[in-house]
Amino acid sequence: MADNKEINIPVADPNDPYAVPAAMPSSADRAPRSFDVAAFPTPEKKQDEWRYTPLERIEEFFDVFEPSGETEVTVSMIDGSEPVDGVRVRRVPMGEAPSGTVSKPNDRVSAVEWNSAREAVVVELKGEIAQPVLVKVHGNGMDLDALHLVVSAADKTHADVVVEHDGSARLAEGVEIVTGTDSHVSFTSIQEWDKDAKHVGNHRIHLGAGASLRHSVVTLGGDAVRIRMDQDFGGEQGELNMLGIYFVDPGEHIEHRTMVVHNHPDCKSRVVYKGALDGKGAHSTWVGNALIEPTAPGTDSYELNRNLVLTPGAIADSEPNLEIENGNIIGAGHASSVGRFDDEELFYLESRGIPETEARKLVVRGFFGELVEEIGIPAISEHLMNVIDRRLARGESDAMAQVLEDK
Amino acid sequence: MATLEIKDLRAHVETKEGIKEILKGVNLTVHSGETHAIMGPNGSGKSTLAYTLAGHPKYIVDGGQVLLDGVDILNQTPDERAKEGLFLAMQYPVEVPGVSMTNFLRTAKTEVDGKAPSIRTWTKELTEAMKRLKMDPKFATRSVNEGFSGGEKKRAEVLQLELLKPKFAILDETDSGLDVDALRIVSEGVNRAKEANQFGILMVTHYTRILKYIKPDIVHVFADGHFVKTGGPELADELEENGYDQYLPEGSDSESALA
Repeated sequence: MADNKEINIPVADPNDPYAVPAAMPSSADRAPRSFDVAAFPTPEKKQDEWRYTPLERIEEFFDVFEPSGETEVTVSMIDGSEPVDGVRVRRVPMGEAPSGTVSKPNDRVSAVEWNSAREAVVVELKGEIAQPVLVKVHGNGMDLDALHLVVSAADKTHADVVVEHDGSARLAEGVEIVTGTDSHVSFTSIQEWDKDAKHVGNHRIHLGAGASLRHSVVTLGGDAVRIRMDQDFGGEQGELNMLGIYFVDPGEHIEHRTMVVHNHPDCKSRVVYKGALDGKGAHSTWVGNALIEPTAPGTDSYELNRNLVLTPGAIADSEPNLEIENGNIIGAGHASSVGRFDDEELFYLESRGIPETEARKLVVRGFFGELVEEIGIPAISEHLMNVIDRRLARGESDAMAQVLEDK
Repeated sequence: MATLEIKDLRAHVETKEGIKEILKGVNLTVHSGETHAIMGPNGSGKSTLAYTLAGHPKYIVDGGQVLLDGVDILNQTPDERAKEGLFLAMQYPVEVPGVSMTNFLRTAKTEVDGKAPSIRTWTKELTEAMKRLKMDPKFATRSVNEGFSGGEKKRAEVLQLELLKPKFAILDETDSGLDVDALRIVSEGVNRAKEANQFGILMVTHYTRILKYIKPDIVHVFADGHFVKTGGPELADELEENGYDQYLPEGSDSESALA
């Protein structure tokens, strides 16, 4: 344990600039944060944060547009009932608090979203809310739309929020998540888009002191999905758990970028993203950034990404980046892997009578199941396993349809 | 009454050094209820025979037939062969992380039978089979073979043998890596399963010690990719006495002497 909470930022001596350690500007310090689109250049492959993204497939999100307003947003409890006491839902003009209070847009597409959206849907949470709150986002077509969502949890709140996306859409989405002191909140975003959907998302997250946040992202479909998440802490003893699951079909691009910033002492973060890729042209990207600022002694951080390539022809990019500016920490680890579905595992299952497609499904279900179990919130875990099973069953009915056609 | 006929089976494997012929004309007929011991020196192709029968993609068949009740299974996928009634207990059972034993067994049972087992009888059958094999109930909730010891893996193979009820069971070096107690438990499991379901057994083994527990009706010597001698149980005693040297090709290293 790092008991020493003294914050001591070394400053370089101008006469001896190579004496170490010296305060170095971190990449986050250099990166612009602005509500103004012009603050960000148009994305190009040569910019590091866009190097994995197929820009031509999301270029409609690079300039401010008139939103279609076709995206339906409904808020209820997860069983479909009306929001209970402690859940307040309202719509505010863009820029009216609490919208625009959690950091600022951090790239071109998030600034475009901010300037394109007409209003923000605000979900305010207070107290002990037993049942998860469900925000349903349904796309009704391919006209460009923008959606801004704010989830704000008061001090000491216990609540779970699930955002479900489905249908067909080209959606720019901004999400602000702010949690109060000593709150315990889970936020889950599920993308179950139709095959043609495009989704460019930006989550900006601020955790209260002593608060814990379980942030989960499950992306199971869409032509091009790119979600960037930026987070920081509001005080000591914050705990962030980020979990991601993605399933990429042939031709799809699914990208997740997490940016965890340790800016206060004694906070803990875990980022675990797992993906399965199936078929030619399936492309996933995970970039996990973690920045430990000089002001964050006692930091405990770890990030991990695992990719399971089910069939040849898929591409998984996996890039963890750590910037550590404080030596007095508990840990800052990372791991990343891309592995093929093992032929011996497949043979073993097949030799017990389980057909190849079924065997792959069993393994994928297990691969994700291990992660979902760790969530520890039964209502959320069950919901996610149902979503994953639904996705896997979709594959089966396709395969079965093919078998029937062959006959 | 089922019959498994292997006729002039030839197979090769592709190695870095090129194509290596392993099975060079294998002929064997096994009936339900018979136990055949297949013995032979290391590297003779015994395990290859076992895996080729089960349909492992690494082994490429060059000719011959394998008829299960008259149906040639050689162009079937491994899962189809399992549904026909073939079961391979592996020497090194594979770990499948994330897939629980329970889920795996129920899926396999459903596929092999063509219908889902009724929950109540299935749970009872599973629990009792595990108890008989002295397996800790918590194995059911763990991932398939993951973190199992060598002995636990073999017990899990026999558990599947009992539950899936095949027509023919191929046991590939099931005795390897077992201490005396585990060998007894595993052998009793095989005998019990055979008693209940009257399947035929092809028992691939290097050593004779398992034959004390699972009595063979017929003993074969397998060398250089085919059967070279067939006899009764007394042949095993002779092998115990004299080793495999006489069956090795001229000038080859005597691996069995070293083993």
